[in-house]
Amino acid sequence: MRTKKHVSSAEIQPNLTPMIDVVFNLLIFFVVTIQFSELDMEAGVMLPTSTAAEQKDYTDFRNVVVNIVNPDNPTFMVMHRAFTMQELTEYLKECRQAATDQNQSLNLILRADKEIPYDEVARVMLCGCNAEIQTWWIQTDISDRLAANAVVP
Amino acid sequence: MKTKRPPIPGKIQPPIVPVLDVTFNLLIFFILMPSTGVDEGYLTSNMPTSVGPVAHKPTIPEVRIKVQLYDVEPNGEYINGAKNEHVAIAVEGDQLSSADGKPLIDQAALAALKKVLEDKRAQLKEQAATTPILLSPTMPTRHKWVVAAFDQGVATGFNKIHFAVPYD
Repeated sequence: MRTKKHVSSAEIQPNLTPMIDVVFNLLIFFVVTIQFSELDMEAGVMLPTSTAAEQKDYTDFRNVVVNIVNPDNPTFMVMHRAFTMQELTEYLKECRQAATDQNQSLNLILRADKEIPYDEVARVMLCGCNAEIQTWWIQTDISDRLAANAVVP
Repeated sequence: MKTKRPPIPGKIQPPIVPVLDVTFNLLIFFILMPSTGVDEGYLTSNMPTSVGPVAHKPTIPEVRIKVQLYDVEPNGEYINGAKNEHVAIAVEGDQLSSADGKPLIDQAALAALKKVLEDKRAQLKEQAATTPILLSPTMPTRHKWVVAAFDQGVATGFNKIHFAVPYD
């Protein structure tokens, strides 16, 4: 018996429009919600470990992040720019004044390499003190604590 | 004169594949980027305040526990001016040492500091929460040891931890 041959259908193309809609929506979401202040952070800073440090959303506060990099030749870095102590004091004063003008208080986040001598940390504290900044946070690595607290199945 | 009409073009579809490539790359970037920094925490402290005629002179609370950190050699010896990588600790001027009198360094010193602070906390009772600890490291002391000493203060229930800052 002769069977009827199926006529080959035209090339099937999946409907891309809904997928593109979803992808663009996700993209817009991530672009809008990304925390751009992470750009203040210098790469290659080995933070000291801490068990008592709190996890905080620093974007809830007005912050200035001071990085102290390179233990062999310590350098103050803010927004990827190297500062002398004098320059840092002036910069912090400007930041504090801008915050005060908007009825906000400024928080100094210190992000120092774990091998940096206290001398350099004290210099940043002095700069903050001279700029009349009231509070400061020391950024630390809490991955050990998080790993210890993780639920092991 | 009769003019020739141009042929009506078919439906033009822009190439969508490169657009999708770029979009997916951006999407992956923005998904992965915020994951940096989730393992970071903060120790909070107040800056010393400047008062009086002497510029930058910090006010130091009167009732306090003074914890001094010294940079030392591996044998516990303090060499002034050297880049000593280890730490020894003194509380209220008394250096933390083992039963045989040898100075404790690094993790052993931190464990001893925790014990001393626990005893202080037991003595102070309710006052402990408001009693400040004054951390006073020598200048070459590594940041990691300062943070570790800060940790011990917080772990033993002291909420106010200040830093001694040298001033001109």
